[in-house]
Amino acid sequence: MTPNLAPVIITGVGSVSPYGPLAGLIPQSPLEPTTITAWTTAGLRRAFLVPAFRPASVVPGLKTRRLDRLSAWALVASALAIKDAGIDLNQVDRSRVAVIFATAFGCVELTEAFYLSAAANGWNGTDPSTFPETLPSTPASHVSLFHGLRGPNVTVSNKDFAGENALMQAASLLRHGQADLAIVLAGDTLSQSLYSWYDVAAVLSPACYNSDPVPEAGGFIPSEGVAALVMESSGRGDIRSGARSYARLCSGRWAAGGQPAEMIRQMLDGSVPSLTVCSGNGAPCATSPTTALAREISGDGAVIISPQTFALGLAGTGALFHLILALSSRPVHGQALFLATAGHSGFAALLLELLAI
Amino acid sequence: MTDIHKTIVVTGVGVVSPYGVGLDCMQAGMLSGKCCLAPTKDLYPGFEGTTAQVRGLPLLAEDSSSRYSRTDQLATAAAQDAMAHTGRDGSAFRESGVVIANTVGGLTEIDTGIAKDPAAWFRRPGNLLRVASYPFAHVADAVGEHFGIRGPRCAISVACASGATAIALAANMLLDGAAPIILAGGSDPLCPFTLSGFNSLRALDPNPCSPFDQNRKGLNLGEGSAILVLETLAGATARNANVMAVLRGWAMTNDAFHTTAPQEQGIGLADCIRLSMEMAEVSGDEIEYVNAHGTGTPLNDIAEATAYETAFRGRKHPIPVSSTKSYFGHCLGAAGALEAAITIMAVRSGALLPTLRLVDPIESPGVDWLRGEVKRQPLPLAMSVSSGFGGSNAVLIFGSGPS
Repeated sequence: MTPNLAPVIITGVGSVSPYGPLAGLIPQSPLEPTTITAWTTAGLRRAFLVPAFRPASVVPGLKTRRLDRLSAWALVASALAIKDAGIDLNQVDRSRVAVIFATAFGCVELTEAFYLSAAANGWNGTDPSTFPETLPSTPASHVSLFHGLRGPNVTVSNKDFAGENALMQAASLLRHGQADLAIVLAGDTLSQSLYSWYDVAAVLSPACYNSDPVPEAGGFIPSEGVAALVMESSGRGDIRSGARSYARLCSGRWAAGGQPAEMIRQMLDGSVPSLTVCSGNGAPCATSPTTALAREISGDGAVIISPQTFALGLAGTGALFHLILALSSRPVHGQALFLATAGHSGFAALLLELLAI
Repeated sequence: MTDIHKTIVVTGVGVVSPYGVGLDCMQAGMLSGKCCLAPTKDLYPGFEGTTAQVRGLPLLAEDSSSRYSRTDQLATAAAQDAMAHTGRDGSAFRESGVVIANTVGGLTEIDTGIAKDPAAWFRRPGNLLRVASYPFAHVADAVGEHFGIRGPRCAISVACASGATAIALAANMLLDGAAPIILAGGSDPLCPFTLSGFNSLRALDPNPCSPFDQNRKGLNLGEGSAILVLETLAGATARNANVMAVLRGWAMTNDAFHTTAPQEQGIGLADCIRLSMEMAEVSGDEIEYVNAHGTGTPLNDIAEATAYETAFRGRKHPIPVSSTKSYFGHCLGAAGALEAAITIMAVRSGALLPTLRLVDPIESPGVDWLRGEVKRQPLPLAMSVSSGFGGSNAVLIFGSGPS
């Protein structure tokens, strides 16, 4: 079965990332992991960290003091994407705007804070203002609340393809007329407990412990951030005055097993993408299963964009960053296959038509 | 004329509730008027309250490479029950999708030590394995991997509207052709984290709750899981499957009002009810029962009653409404799915369950608050309503069979 989605258009991009808060595409520049100072570490520990900034300086009027950073960044990224799309929400029926958010770990910082309040005061003495801010769905709720968006509000996850999942659920809502416009977000924050988890599990790159370059050393460098896209049904996006169109999402497919090459060819329905954007599992590009699958589908002549290190550090929620980075650096226009694999967990594939900006 | 490719049907229902495993078990318990809410003291030191617990849950075997949280265990047992309910063997579900909601994930597997000294906590034997079930996505993976299901997997978390939202999104996915069958529902266990959270918000009634009563004092937490087997009517017909109910309409909205409180006039919920009826192409007069969100909190119940007044204005007779949270509490991410199962049960049996302990109902002339005896009548269409923190609403409409 091939889910052929009615096309939807990506018309706005916003992000909070190690590059800082940005509306639109991310300028191509090298990025180095930075030293963790937010908590005490046993020796040098590095990651791709979002530089500190004041959300209200980016989005005037935004109040984030009691929020998890994930909620604050979702608010900032959504506002930047809406701004980039040139949308005046006062001119939009906000009951027709959906928010779809993907996260792997949710609001981990305030979850830690809630545990600490339980440790200090007992489970009968926890902080009531913290509890609602710990839910995985809270960042999406804040986005709806801040912008007054009354359409569907959904938080999704998937071990390896949470971002792709969010894109496809948003496209589905638009396709079925359950929304006219969707704000799609994906991301996570890096907390002490999360970093310790990676550290003790010995899955980190030597670059996390050493500021000297260690080529091809394996492991991954954790990162953090939230990416946001504005998606519109194609009729609406095409006719909206001043709308910028980055790409058209034509179809998508994800599964936890089966024959990926066969299923993706079925999805492509004869299309031959000139570009493949690999995201996913963090293996060196030349030997990664994603690249091998891309070559199997598109042939040796296809242009392949490798996974970007910083986006790989976002586990399952890096897809939107992979997409934004690919849009920022794309060597060609035309059809692109956006592809991720994750060992026995399967694959996710999206067919996009990259549009002239 | 029914388009069999665009009609979503339910061909199996799996349930793990405080009554035990299975829809029949839950139905028998609820029809007998049995309430599973009981005084509880053992969930964390110092807790005294009322909850509904699942006892005797069949546990999955764990080994050196896998550990299942209680959320996983509940969901897997419900999925097994759902598949068995269809009468088909496991191979029939190989290409299926898995869409499961929860809010707790693996919080049952961790403790305050993870925040006090994370590195030391992770180094303790077994903790790396325990924490692997922490992400809320793990539940869909646990179910998929346990049964060798290889279609798309998706976890949903929309606070207390999670379970119904999972069913709505699964229906969209079936219309997209993302999978031939989807196991969709929700699962959530009792755990100190959420119990403490609701306790801190003073949202818990220390005694069994009284939804929609003028003297209601709050909610009780419960635990459980429900999984529906969803497919298109075309697929079900091709497989000669037993169609238990038709999912006639579904809708999702957000109040955009407050992080915990519902919009006082229930506007977002009323919109959601209206949208679901538009999708189902039915009028308010055709809905003969609403299984309410009905938590028993002062704010929720009044906003919900007002939403019913708005959404069903113009009906010839007051809309029959009950809250089945009065039987086994609020199961959070599983609530919407369990209540979908109860709504399907009502459509199939024509038995409308009353709200327990409803003595002095909220004044709401457009609503027929079901209380006292079980009401029996033909029920071609019924609605299940869910709302949650963050303002999310989800509504499902079930019908008795293909038209």
